[in-house]
Amino acid sequence: MTTIDGSSIKKLIVACDAGMGSSVMLAGQLKKQLKKNGVTVEHSPVAHIPQDADVVVTQAGLADRARGVVPDVPVVPFQLFLGDPKVAKIVKAIQDGSTVEV
Amino acid sequence: MADSALTSLLAERSILLDRTATDRFDAVRQCGAALVAAGAVDESYVDAMIQREETVSTFVGEGVAIPHGTLAGKEAVKHDALVVLRFPDGVDWEGNTVSVCVGIAAAGGGHIALLSQLAEILLDPEKAEQLRTATSAEQVYALLAPDEDED
Repeated sequence: MTTIDGSSIKKLIVACDAGMGSSVMLAGQLKKQLKKNGVTVEHSPVAHIPQDADVVVTQAGLADRARGVVPDVPVVPFQLFLGDPKVAKIVKAIQDGSTVEV
Repeated sequence: MADSALTSLLAERSILLDRTATDRFDAVRQCGAALVAAGAVDESYVDAMIQREETVSTFVGEGVAIPHGTLAGKEAVKHDALVVLRFPDGVDWEGNTVSVCVGIAAAGGGHIALLSQLAEILLDPEKAEQLRTATSAEQVYALLAPDEDED
């Protein structure tokens, strides 16, 4: 478990294998939800996750690869594309500036 | 009426609403063939789509999957394009039933607005149902057209 401080997150990356499908869809959603919070939301292929990311959201099956690319960045794995409880928790933590265990 | 940005990405002849598939890989191959027919990708992209599906499912919920290639497969993309294939009888997708596949070929980001709109549809059970039961290209365009009030 890692504790994430929602108020310290300025850059959230949604990663998928190619960065052209699923991550794009989810990034669009999160961008909308976090628009007011001054958070940069970008989508990226797992292999190209930027090192300055504050948190990475990715499909559970890709989480280990994501951790390999950015070992120091917390990775939030999800099962459901839309409406995943883990993703909802991290969004809420950012919106509220609260902490969350992932 | 569909706007030109939408139709240049998703051509009317790339909306195929009455398909049948023997399994999910057959469905993915059909999406790939439609992308090849649209002139968006080389044949090799279809294999990349299968590879991606074998690694991680592209099922996204609400009876919808979004088959696309791998990072390596991107080289086979000539231009951004989408295809919509509907399988009225449903296709088994590792225990889920998929009625609609949105096949994606993207080298750039031209498809981002459309995929955001797809996410909106999937979050609205009524719209998702409309997509699963669409029988005309007009209905598909009407659902996927970006909202007027979006920035």
